[in-house]
Amino acid sequence: MAKKKTKSNFEQDLSRLEEISKKLEEDNLELEEAITIFEEGVKLSKSCLKNLREAELKITELKGELGKFLDDEE
Amino acid sequence: MENSTQILTVSELTKEIRRTLEESFQQVTVVGEISNFKSHISGHWYFSLKDSSAVINCTMWKGFNQYVFFTPQDGMKIIVNGKLTVYPPRGSYQLDIRSMKPAGLGELQEAFEKLKKKLEAEGLFDEKFKKPVPVFPSKIGIVTAIDGAAFRDLVSVAKRRYPLVELVIAPARVQGSGAAESIVNSIKLLNKSGDIDVIIVGRGGGSIEDLWAFNEEVVARAIFKSRVPVISGVGHEVDFTIADYVADLRAPTPSVAMELATPDAMEIENYIKEFLLKSSRIIDEQIEEKNGDILSLLKSYGFRIPLKIVNKKSQQIDIIINRILQSIERFSLVHDKKISLLAKSMETYDIQRSLKRGFVLVKQNSKFVTRAAKFNKEKKASLKFYDGEVITR
Repeated sequence: MAKKKTKSNFEQDLSRLEEISKKLEEDNLELEEAITIFEEGVKLSKSCLKNLREAELKITELKGELGKFLDDEE
Repeated sequence: MENSTQILTVSELTKEIRRTLEESFQQVTVVGEISNFKSHISGHWYFSLKDSSAVINCTMWKGFNQYVFFTPQDGMKIIVNGKLTVYPPRGSYQLDIRSMKPAGLGELQEAFEKLKKKLEAEGLFDEKFKKPVPVFPSKIGIVTAIDGAAFRDLVSVAKRRYPLVELVIAPARVQGSGAAESIVNSIKLLNKSGDIDVIIVGRGGGSIEDLWAFNEEVVARAIFKSRVPVISGVGHEVDFTIADYVADLRAPTPSVAMELATPDAMEIENYIKEFLLKSSRIIDEQIEEKNGDILSLLKSYGFRIPLKIVNKKSQQIDIIINRILQSIERFSLVHDKKISLLAKSMETYDIQRSLKRGFVLVKQNSKFVTRAAKFNKEKKASLKFYDGEVITR
């Protein structure tokens, strides 16, 4: 039942940023390509920072005695 | 009973025994060791209490045993309070227990060690079963009391470290009667909801009795069975519970559990800032490098030769242009002279023709007189004919 969860957008953005960082550092990119992915990185950075700073903690309560009636599945 | 001739039925005798015993032992407190403990599906408990030379059957009905904070185990020394009852169909007597407590803290400690050994032997603590805890969770499930200090701590740590996350609390009783079942229930609920990334199970500090629910076998097994990774955060640093051993990750306190469950926003921010700095420096360097490449290319031999040629050629061109300019100048000078000579001669030619036709040029005081009014009769005049000049008086 536990499906493989997809990564959160935030996590995806961060890992893409890491990828870009590695590419810039390690690969011998053509200047034009380097600038293109650098620009992408700057955009991602901005949106990540914005998300972080504007986020507000969400709290939800899971109610129900339902679990009591759940048998030991499987 | 003095009367030996009186014959009693079994029921009559038993009734007498029952009355005698139940009246004499309406409220007794007994210490003994548990053996043959059974928790019936109905919720009632059946077991024996014994010491080195005697044994007594015990029952504890559901209505009473739900207030016991621990699950009795065989070998545990307990102190019970109850009354003696007789069960005529079997001719047996038993202790009907109302309350129960461990005979000492050592008992709980022993129970703890026993359960720990048992679960360890079953492999519930094995590293190979430990599930990895995600670094960037979207939803964190929480199993604790919603009105407890632990929950407040969990919320404030999450707010500070990673406000992007959603906390999903499945409230549970974390001490006293029914706590273990309540915790199990909440763990199951969170697993059922399907989208929880990690579960924190915990509560704040307290006595060993307060924390006991986390030493219960049912809780340990629920944590083990949880498909969602579980972080335990129970009590203080010094408190170790069975839950801690089974959990995928053990935190010394609830606050630390939340720290382990979340990345630090400050660190992420620093990482991003560092990325911006580093990558822009890389780009700058690359541009600088390319700039240098271009400059050195321009300075290279291959580029210098044509430049020399160009320089030389342009010098030649300059010289040629100069020459052309000079020759044009000379040419026009010569021409100018010719033109003026021609013009003069043409002028002269024109006058000669007029003279030839009989016109005369009159001069007085060496100026031409072109109008009659300007002629002075008193003065000398010179008349120029085609064939010569005459002076008059």
